[in-house]
This record gives sequence, structure tokens and C-alpha cells, in this order.
Amino acid sequence: MIRNRALSPAARQLLAALMEGGSGWLHGYDLSRQSGIKSGTLYPLLIRLEGQGYLEAEWQPSTEPGRPPRHAYRLTEAGRALAMANPPAVGAAHGRDLGKASA
Amino acid sequence: MIDRLLRALAAMIVACAAMILPGASRGWGRAMRQEVRDIPQGVEALRFALGCLVGASREVFGPADLHESVQEGRPSGSPTGIGLRVLLVACAIVAVLLGLGHMKAGGAPATMMLMNLIALALGLLLLSTTSMLRSFLPAPDPRSLSLLLSLLLVATALAGMTVDGATRWIRLSGLAVQPSLILLPLILLWFVRRASPASLLAVLLSALALALQPDRAMAGALAAGLLALALTRPDRVTLFALAAAVAGFVATLAQPDVQPAMPFVDQILWTAFALHPLAGVAVVGGAALLVVPGLVLMARGAGDRPLGAVFAATWFAIVLAAGLGNYPTPLVGYGGSAILGYLACLWGLPRSMTRARRPVNGFRREKAEEGRQNLRSGIIATQTIA
Repeated sequence: MIRNRALSPAARQLLAALMEGGSGWLHGYDLSRQSGIKSGTLYPLLIRLEGQGYLEAEWQPSTEPGRPPRHAYRLTEAGRALAMANPPAVGAAHGRDLGKASA
Repeated sequence: MIDRLLRALAAMIVACAAMILPGASRGWGRAMRQEVRDIPQGVEALRFALGCLVGASREVFGPADLHESVQEGRPSGSPTGIGLRVLLVACAIVAVLLGLGHMKAGGAPATMMLMNLIALALGLLLLSTTSMLRSFLPAPDPRSLSLLLSLLLVATALAGMTVDGATRWIRLSGLAVQPSLILLPLILLWFVRRASPASLLAVLLSALALALQPDRAMAGALAAGLLALALTRPDRVTLFALAAAVAGFVATLAQPDVQPAMPFVDQILWTAFALHPLAGVAVVGGAALLVVPGLVLMARGAGDRPLGAVFAATWFAIVLAAGLGNYPTPLVGYGGSAILGYLACLWGLPRSMTRARRPVNGFRREKAEEGRQNLRSGIIATQTIA
């Protein structure tokens, strides 16, 4: 029986990791490590956040010459407001428990 | 060297993930590929790529939600039955695609590759059709179904197609189909979930059929699956079934096995490396993927451990047999039966979001369930009367 529709722990954790990045751009692998969210959960969430206007995504040239550009992410204003309204659950900070929560 | 091979496998897997993403999300597939390319360690890259594949599969089967649906009795964040099923389908798709890569590199006839793709499409179509029909039709009883399936295995042994002394196949529309590869893993999974006189009889008949055929690979897989069950859930019924399966396996060892190796079917775990290191990585990586859903299920907790262990042990034994003898290499080699059999395992995995109850030994589990149902019926009857 459905009781409520709270933001998922993984989504909260991801928003917190993006908030920590401030106005800087972050890459998928860095976000996965910082938040403890596995890539199988990370990308669907990023896709959804971008689609709903909470996330900016852009291709940035690699710092190493000859390497292809990488996709980088940061929160929009609406995303920052969403992150502040939905902090990660106590004890789940930095994804300590999220390894089990994500596939 | 190993790091390079792992990175190559990761690149293949993430390429598959990018390929299956829906059109609107294709750019994200490119993002995943670049990310995997920039991860310094091979193991990490492989892990990340496998996750990307799971994520891409989720996108295919229904977009993710930022919100959670909190359900009564479900621990928040526990892996769901749906996630596991998506993982199994993803592993099947990638293993088949990696196998096709190997076949292409080895110059296999296009019809072989087409047949594997048709089997994959047919399996997915059957799964989606039964999934749709579930809401309209009453759920079949797995106990009687597994008994019926085991009788089909016996019928194959008695009246199937014989090649070089082995009677393991039936001919359907001109194609040789191996029923044991399609049915046995499912019979085993149903036995794990609902041990009953009927499902035990199904296992015993399967052991007999495989001994008659004879089929060392599948008899070994049956014994391996039951051994895994005995280790994770030891009870008298399981041990009895294991003893029968081991006897069946020994009977297959005592009979001559003179099947010649078929190109792109048997022994490809070794020959693929001779073709090209990447082809070898594709075949071994694809075969290794087959046990992943079982391992994930085992990690979910004590209640799911027996089912996961049986799944992983059964498919590992089938792959191992393909490495040791002239037996088909499942999914990565040519042959639709294994593809259908792997996807059919979905019917043996839990659909429910809730964790399985801690099992009660042997038939007592079923009796306990019947008791609960009777109690519920009694309560309902009492309320109606009142």
C-alpha cells in the first residue's frame, strides 16, 4: 500500500553531492564515488533531474590532450532549492549505506 | 594485460548499454562511454560499465522515478524483484550480443547469428506476453507445471532425436531444440521456491531423463544446483534430491560421450582466444555475466540465498561443462535453447517486492503456507457470518 511519495534516498544523496560541488561541474564517475550511488542508479537519476530542469549538463573538453570531451553536471537554481528541501537521511551521508540501496 | 582486457570488456558492455538506451536518451549513452574510458582501473571501469547497463535497461523497461514508493513491510532501499528481473534480461542481452561479436569475428554464417537473435527476441516476446496475460488469467501452479516439464524431458530421452548415441533434442519446424537447456533451470528454481512432492518428483524425473539421454552437462548442472541448495538450505528433501541427481550424473559419466565439437557451439571458451584476445574476452565475459543475477540474489539476504545460489551454481556448471567437454556454451555460443532457458528463469524468480520469508525445511514450508491460508479463510468466513 503506497503511503507517500518522498524523494528516494539515492536522489537525496545525489542532490547532496551536487550541492557540495557548488557552481563547479562534476563528472559521472566522481558523482558516483562521492555519493556512493552506483552507476546503474546514477544515470537514470541524472536523466530525470536534467529532464525536469534541476540539472545542467554539458560536454566539456578533457583536461588531457587527445582525450574526448566528458559530460559534466551541476545543479540549476531549482535543483539547489530541491536539494536544500530534501537533505539526505541521517546516517546515509556520503553514501555509506547507499551501496546497498542502488543497483 | 588483465587490466587491458577488463577495460576492453567494460568498453563492450557500456557500448551495449548505449545501444539499448531509448532514442531520447542516446546522448547519455555517449556520456557513459566517455566516463568508462576515463576510469583509470580496469576493475572499476568494469563495475561502472555493468551498472550503466543496469541503468540503461531500467530506462528501456520504464523510466526511473526520483521518488520512492514506500511499501508496507519493505525495507527502504532493498533491491526489488523488478530490479533483479531487469538485471537478468540485461545479462542475457549483453551475453548474446558479446557472443554475436565473437561469431562475427570468427566468420560464422549469418544464419547462426540470426538464429540467436531470433531466440532472444522470441524469449523477450514470450516474457512480455505472459506478463500481460498474468492480469487476465489465473496463475498456473508451478508444482504441476514442473512435473509436466520433467515429463517432457523424459519424453525427449525416450522419443527424441538421436545424434551419435545421445538423445537430447527434439525437432521443431526443422530446428533441433534441446529441451533440457530450456526447462531444467526453471524446474530447479521452482523446486527451491516450492518444495512439494510434485516438484521433488519433477527433479527425480529430470535426473532420470538426463541419465537416459545421456547428458553430462545438464546432469552435472542439476547436481550442482542441488548441492548449492543443500549447502544453503540443508533438509532431508533436498539431500534426497541431491543424492538422486548425483546418481544420475554418475550414470552419465559411466556412458560413452562421443559428441564431436561443433564450431561456434562447443569449446568456444578456448577457441575464441585463439581467434582474437577480444573475442576471448567477449566470450568469457558474456559467460561470466550469466551468474550475476544469482550472486545479486544471494546478496539480498538469507531468505533469497538458496534461490540465488541455485541459479548461480546451475549456470556456472553449464558454462563449466562447456569448457570441459563438447557441450554448448550458453548464450555466447550458437544455440537458441540456452537463450530461451536463461530467460525462462525469470518465471522462477520472485516477482514480489518483499523479501522472502525465512524458509521452513522441506514440505513443512508448504504445509505452513496451507495452514496460513486456511486460517485466513477461517477468519474471512467468521467475519462474513458475523
